[in-house]
Amino acid sequence: MLFGKKKEKEQRSVLEEEQMQSPFRTIIKNLLENKLAMGGLIVFVSIFAMCFILPIWFHQDLNYQDPTQKNIAPGFSFLSVPSDLKNNAEVIEFGPTYGVGVDKDGYVYEWGQLTKNLKKIPADMGKVVDIAVGQDHVLAINDKGNLYTWGFNRMGLNVIPPELKGKKIADIEAGYQVSVVVTEDGKVVSWGNTSAVDISTANVKDEKVKEVKANIQTAIALTKDGKVISLAKKETALDNVPEEIQGKVEKIALTDKAAAAVLKDGTVKVWGNNHDHIFSVPEEVQGKAVDISGGRNHLVVVTEDGNAVAWGGNENKQATVPAKASNIAKLTSGYYQNCIIKEDGSVVTWGLKGYLLGTDNLGRNVFYRILKGGQMTMTVGFIAVIIQFAIGILVGGISGYYGGTVDILLMRLSEVVGSLPFIPLALILSALIGNKVSDVGRIIMIMLILGFLGWTGIAGLVRAQVLAERNKEFVVAAKALGVREKNIIFRHIVPNVMTIIIVQATISFATCMLTESGLSFLGFGVAEPIPSWGNMLNNCRSSEVISQYWWRWVFPSVVLGLCTVSINLFGDGLRRAVDPKANER
Amino acid sequence: MAKYILKRLGYIIIVFFLLSILLFGIFKMVPGDPARLMVEGQKQSVSPEQYEMLYQQARVRLGLDKPIPVQYLSWMGNILQGDFGYSTVYRIPVKELIGPPMKNTIALNVVYYIFLFAIGIPLGIKCAVKKDTVFDTSLQVATMIGISIPSFISALIFIYLFAIKIPIFPISGMVTTGANFTGFRAFLDYLYHMALPIIVCLTGIGGLIRYVRGALLDALSMDYVRTARAKGLKEKTVIYKHAFRNAMIPITGWIVGSIVGIFGGAVIIETLFSWKGVGKLLIDSLNQHDYTVALSMQMFYILLGLAANLITDLCYCIVDPRIKLD
Repeated sequence: MLFGKKKEKEQRSVLEEEQMQSPFRTIIKNLLENKLAMGGLIVFVSIFAMCFILPIWFHQDLNYQDPTQKNIAPGFSFLSVPSDLKNNAEVIEFGPTYGVGVDKDGYVYEWGQLTKNLKKIPADMGKVVDIAVGQDHVLAINDKGNLYTWGFNRMGLNVIPPELKGKKIADIEAGYQVSVVVTEDGKVVSWGNTSAVDISTANVKDEKVKEVKANIQTAIALTKDGKVISLAKKETALDNVPEEIQGKVEKIALTDKAAAAVLKDGTVKVWGNNHDHIFSVPEEVQGKAVDISGGRNHLVVVTEDGNAVAWGGNENKQATVPAKASNIAKLTSGYYQNCIIKEDGSVVTWGLKGYLLGTDNLGRNVFYRILKGGQMTMTVGFIAVIIQFAIGILVGGISGYYGGTVDILLMRLSEVVGSLPFIPLALILSALIGNKVSDVGRIIMIMLILGFLGWTGIAGLVRAQVLAERNKEFVVAAKALGVREKNIIFRHIVPNVMTIIIVQATISFATCMLTESGLSFLGFGVAEPIPSWGNMLNNCRSSEVISQYWWRWVFPSVVLGLCTVSINLFGDGLRRAVDPKANER
Repeated sequence: MAKYILKRLGYIIIVFFLLSILLFGIFKMVPGDPARLMVEGQKQSVSPEQYEMLYQQARVRLGLDKPIPVQYLSWMGNILQGDFGYSTVYRIPVKELIGPPMKNTIALNVVYYIFLFAIGIPLGIKCAVKKDTVFDTSLQVATMIGISIPSFISALIFIYLFAIKIPIFPISGMVTTGANFTGFRAFLDYLYHMALPIIVCLTGIGGLIRYVRGALLDALSMDYVRTARAKGLKEKTVIYKHAFRNAMIPITGWIVGSIVGIFGGAVIIETLFSWKGVGKLLIDSLNQHDYTVALSMQMFYILLGLAANLITDLCYCIVDPRIKLD
């Protein structure tokens, strides 16, 4: 097939052209004709380029963790508002991975990544007028004032407290796994997972509350007379509401660690913990703000001329307001998504759309970790091969050139190192030394282990080649000229056998990558949070992950597999090109 | 020959001692005090003076009060007498601890090698005979892919396909939980749990196929094959009687070398499939900081590696009288 018919032509051409072509050009020509090898080269180079170039634009902190974004399947559906809703929206709210909207007729839509329970929208709700969205549950209220909830149904979240029966409801809000309702007469009722969201309604017992805002940890309330009260049971930074704003607050919003308020005079005040420059309120909104909303780490303000201004964290473009966001009627932000309903009922969204290859168990972007892991795996493999290369050439060169006792000693040494059981020894060294050193030290140690235990193949090869070359004329000539022995070996002989060494090094590179991945997979290689293709698979061993969160193991496996297969195909092609006689075998 | 074996044995012993000193030194560098670990449980119940006394007693009992060279000598002396020390986690002698996993590993490896040779050698021969046909080329590419993909990835793929999507094999473990089979039924159950790990191991069969193919092709390019063909012998006779017999020399070396490997567990496969063999024991002992066990097993692996080397060389010498050992 591929080699069968073509080969005889090829062979002849090699013999003919060798007379007018340098051996190097013959090798290149042979290589270019081998489609499999070239395919391998192209695949490897593209993976390599991707891993080293893309992270320049695309950055995430390696220590980043976000429980609300964990185990998200690949896709970009978070902002895919259904077309029926697009020009007819009444309310839109966002959860961490999905959105819920209500159109002007009171019909509920859901999009994004929904759990099974979230999809079970109650059928008999009638005309829904308002919704609130938490981590994975939804709270809705219809025009008759009836409350409905669906989604995550443990921790008592699905049970609407009986004391709300017959009460008129003014505001609803949903936090991480908690629901909060404000009645018309200013009372606050909350239920759900109180250990995750630690709030208490006791703080506002004597106040008439207008609305409540919740984030993933706590909640704050705004009273009818413009006061802000934290609902947190324990002390938090949000408790320190600036005294001067009390009684003047119109609107409130929360991020993860900070709270913001719009005052009657249109100024914006932020307090709590300053993260992602959240305290730096843009000057142009001061005095003009009418509404405010907050996501995980950003704030958006609507000014009196109907435009939106956002600031804070922008890693998912959640603080980059699109130009068409004008004539704003209603603004909502949740997690990393934002939505504006314009006066004409049309919808503009921006922020996090989803993840190309999903996220892992700590909410980290799998695509980014594959890129970074590729850098790590390839760097470790490359440096390990360089070490193998250096020791192999040195030992093989000296051994082959001098022969005799030196040869015997060095080859015995090589034999011992070669017969050491690699994986067990690497495991033990990594377990014993690895605990004592830093993350970077550990990576360097892996490279050294791979390098110092794997040079024997190259040494044997170099020795055999040097033995074959050392009595040739050019060596004799060099000796006659009085060239030093060191230079004869490494300047004259080794360059002549370089092609074969390079072939061996290519294949060693793939082997080193595999070994590093194996060690990291077992938890004895590159340690978290630094990714490598092997340790990304480390926590994918359970059947639950293998079946449900397939993207967490499929993508790293595919990239690692593609990479090693392509290197090996290329190495094989290179060997055939360097040594055309091997083809005849 | 006898002189050569003696020389090699002496050399193995020297290497073994050098490595044991090296490893012992590394293990001594590890933080953590086994004597402290031993008396930790009594800390609450006794007074500080008594605790200190117990601790010193434990140190004396474990021999930790002596200088490191002396500790090494007594450790080595015990090993030579067959006493590998106590596991700090399971609190039983290492010798007893290693027994059952060793049986499991050997069982898994024996079945694996039977399949490996039964499939690999015929396929290798067929590839060499049908060199450069579609069959050969596609198998070359397939084996290349098989060799390049690490075992843990093929394991994940096979678990997903054949234990989760189409549940014909158990995901991991060695016996069906709660079934309590006895006799022949228990044996079948054991084999059933062995199936998936062995299939995964067999994805690396390409190494053997390529080796056999190369050896046979080398033999087929020899002059005596041309002579045999010129005599008008049947192609089958040429291949199996003339070429393959000569190709058997390197193949036998390969087989013998790998058969020594049946005592060493495949760490990754055993861990992934919860196969309680020596590989998993090694990983577990490292994870639980049970360094007495890890150290003994490491010495065992080293001995195995050195022995495999010697046996392979001897085997070459036996099957090929032309090879002279010196």
